Amino acid sequence: MKCLIVSLGILFICHLVHSYEGTITEELLIKPLYSEQVYTHFQFSTKWDIDPDKETFRHSPLFPRPLGEIVQRFDIQELHVTLTSGLWRYEKWGYPVKDAATGVEVLAWFKPGSDVDKNWKLLANSLSGLLCASLNFIDNTNTIKPEFSFRPRGILESNLLNNSYVRYANLPHEIVCTENLTPWKKLLPCDSRTGLASLLNSGHIHNTRYHSIGLHLRPVCRDKSCESMSLELQQTVSLVYDYLILGTKNWSLRKLFGQGINRKCVLVSKSDVYVDTTNQDIELEPPPDETVTSVRGGQVTTLQKYIVSNQFLNIYAKFQNADLVSLNLPPPLHANQYLSGYGQERGGIVTKIYNNHWKQIDVVLMQNIPWFIPIYLHTLKVTADGRDIKPIQLRYIPARQRERPTYLEVLLTVPARTATSVVIDFDYVFLKWQEYPPDANFGFHIGSAVISSYLPVARNYTAVPWDGSLISDSFNASRSGYLVEVRTENLIITLPTPDFSMPYNVICLACTVVALAFGPLHNITTRKLILKSKRKVLLIERIKKFLFSLKKTKTE
Amino acid sequence: MSLKKLRIYNNLISTPRIIITCLSAIIVRYYLMMSKYQSVIANHVEVSTPLNSWKRVSEGLYLLSLNINPYEGDLLHETPLSLYLYKNILQVFQGKIHLAFITLDVTTAVVLYFTTKKFTEDLFVEEEENKATYAKDAEECFLKPDKLFKSSYYVLLTYLFNPYILFSCVGYSTTVFYNLYLSVMLFSMVHGIPVLCGVFLAIAASVSFYPVVLVLPITMYFKYAIKSHTKIIVNLTSFVVTSLLIFVLCSNFGTDFSYIRSVYGCILTIPDLQPNVGLFWYFFTEMFEHFRELFIYAFQINTTILYLIPVSLKFRKHPFLLTVAVNFIITIFKSYPSVGDVGFVLSLMPSFSHLFPFSQQGFLVGTMLVISTSLAPILYYLWIYCNSANANFYFGVTLSFAVAQIFLLTDLLFSQVKRDYMLKYGKDRKIDGEEGILCLE
Repeated sequence: MKCLIVSLGILFICHLVHSYEGTITEELLIKPLYSEQVYTHFQFSTKWDIDPDKETFRHSPLFPRPLGEIVQRFDIQELHVTLTSGLWRYEKWGYPVKDAATGVEVLAWFKPGSDVDKNWKLLANSLSGLLCASLNFIDNTNTIKPEFSFRPRGILESNLLNNSYVRYANLPHEIVCTENLTPWKKLLPCDSRTGLASLLNSGHIHNTRYHSIGLHLRPVCRDKSCESMSLELQQTVSLVYDYLILGTKNWSLRKLFGQGINRKCVLVSKSDVYVDTTNQDIELEPPPDETVTSVRGGQVTTLQKYIVSNQFLNIYAKFQNADLVSLNLPPPLHANQYLSGYGQERGGIVTKIYNNHWKQIDVVLMQNIPWFIPIYLHTLKVTADGRDIKPIQLRYIPARQRERPTYLEVLLTVPARTATSVVIDFDYVFLKWQEYPPDANFGFHIGSAVISSYLPVARNYTAVPWDGSLISDSFNASRSGYLVEVRTENLIITLPTPDFSMPYNVICLACTVVALAFGPLHNITTRKLILKSKRKVLLIERIKKFLFSLKKTKTE
Repeated sequence: MSLKKLRIYNNLISTPRIIITCLSAIIVRYYLMMSKYQSVIANHVEVSTPLNSWKRVSEGLYLLSLNINPYEGDLLHETPLSLYLYKNILQVFQGKIHLAFITLDVTTAVVLYFTTKKFTEDLFVEEEENKATYAKDAEECFLKPDKLFKSSYYVLLTYLFNPYILFSCVGYSTTVFYNLYLSVMLFSMVHGIPVLCGVFLAIAASVSFYPVVLVLPITMYFKYAIKSHTKIIVNLTSFVVTSLLIFVLCSNFGTDFSYIRSVYGCILTIPDLQPNVGLFWYFFTEMFEHFRELFIYAFQINTTILYLIPVSLKFRKHPFLLTVAVNFIITIFKSYPSVGDVGFVLSLMPSFSHLFPFSQQGFLVGTMLVISTSLAPILYYLWIYCNSANANFYFGVTLSFAVAQIFLLTDLLFSQVKRDYMLKYGKDRKIDGEEGILCLE
């Protein structure tokens, strides 16, 4: 009997797997960074061969049903969510596979004809439940509709490319932790027991310099001919381990993640691990299954490929010459952001864009500045090498108190081999006392600026091209330009605070002053000036008088 | 006294003297504007409020030049017409904004000078006519022509060298424009030009809303001082027509009403809580959310119509004083006052020099004004830049500044009441053969 149930179960699972049309892949890229860190990037792709426009998501084998429901209910064309802790240091680390700003970033394209504003709010609330993050704080006060900075990564009819269907918000103060990773892992087809996902142990992940988890949902072409669509979900985890925290430069999977890879996930059609050994003198143990050399945009990369099988795999890397320090050329484009000025009255936001390339680069700077930092557009100054640069294009929607943030997009040409600074002045706003958070003097966050550009060279570039889905698609993928979306630091600004302890006193004192005007004015206008005796009649005299008058009446 | 003799008295101050005064005022302003103190002064919250700061006007003009609606954001609180005016003034003065401000400020001073000149003349003539009805021993409080006719020059002096006005002009606050509107309104009121008066009242009201209530005092003026009913009607008509015209022009012929929210919405609901010399900012910072509306209503009624009718009835015989007093109430209690507004009212005080002997709190008010004005920037600096003081310190200073102004206003009005009593009953204050005291009952 037992045997029968088991075999029936197996049959059912086989049927499930069989009825699922699409591919599931998982990849891990390990890249020792030039400086003191090692970068690991997991990418779990679930490609489902259905038409996202027609599918009802009632029955969703392997594809996470909660996400399917979100797509269907809120008319989502494309969705990108990242939860990040720590800052990606472009200058030292190059470009990551997926850019993400510190905190939470949500970017969504909606299908034309849907009630975008309503769906956006509902989407934020659903994601908040799905990822256990405070995404419900996303509303009109921190959402913008960028025009230049973001382009759909999936396929889209070009006439629908309109910024009225796109929404972008970031929550820079959101703290990312285990409670976000656990629900994220539940969306994986094999959960976290087998395959590469078994490496994701909270204890080791949150021990990193930088970690970012992401969900990227987009419609893609089903095949080369692109006659029908598929829905693709990419789940990514990026981690940067510090050698100082690891205690040694010689890393291994066990050292990084606490364990090796146990077994291959049965549902996965491709499960690979790539170790980037470009210009690194690393000895890998066990030896790789294959060595891949990729030439991309003039950059040669050597990668060692491991195919995950059902055998236990623990990759151990040993640096041959531990004292050897490889020098790093900074990437062609990176940026910083900081505050200028002192005091709590007037300040400036400075964004420095560094162009290390030998040619000028066109970039788009996008800023989403909260409403409590009103900026003066006429003070916008773009300078490089002491020369003023005129922005090519400018998009600006000013903030409105308690309603919407400032949206600013500047299209400019950054001259070669210089740091271009974009400065804009702002005022510190005085809020109502109940609008301050409990720790009012901690300050308020300003989200990171996004600097997007098509780079002519692929130096330090690892991202997957838009027409590919896998890390392996980025090998030998030379294109005319390489899209980067550089994120800057978040800023913290301390707004001037009132005294929270004395609302009653203030109300009383101000009303007293009003009363000081009301009393005399009331007297002057309603009463008559008369002459009165200066002498005051004492009480005793009055009694005496009264007694005398009594006496008199008696004698009479 | 014959009218001719009166004119001679009234022209005691020679024209060259006025010109020299104006010139020296121009030099002082120019010097300050060219110095490094210009930006320091312009950045002070006492001088530049959200409603009148030039930085916000520049932002508005810049956004206009980029074809972005400046009322989309929160920064600009000027009417579209004012913005158009500033744009043209900048063109006329070829971007030399300081020259524009100096010109306007000195014009205001001269207009005020002629206003007071006419007012004192009227005052004197009126008293000469009514002398028969006054008490016999009230002679010592009669107007003294030599003193009285100097007051117009004092008005000019106080306006030009009043630090409040000086800072407001040097700091490029648009209160300079507002003061010009008010001064032309007063000028045409005193000279009995109802059309001009109505027009400038409408302009002033369109800029800052509160002057709407000045309609009543001005009507009182045309009724009791000029004694002409047609002029009342003409004045009211011109006010209404100009207001409508301004509304039509501002709203771009009824198509764009976004400015109303930015201008009048801001004045009436106080969304911007940046500190200023008034009472509203901290009060509404610390207000409990569910009482906010109630107190906004209470404070705005207090500023506009609460005192209007009683004061207008009581001082209907002194309509100029009434107008100044109502304007003073507005200045004290308006949502975004600046020192420029206070300076305007203060510089009109010398025209009531005949009331000074009756005032009691001159010293107190003077001390309070001086101390609070000098403490305000210090405590603001300590709060915002040094973090060693907090908002309460600055709030305390603004409270005492408001109290000083309130004392000055009530003292002035009370002086008028006492003078009226004196003229009617004489200086004898005996009751039943004993010394009595005057009191309100």
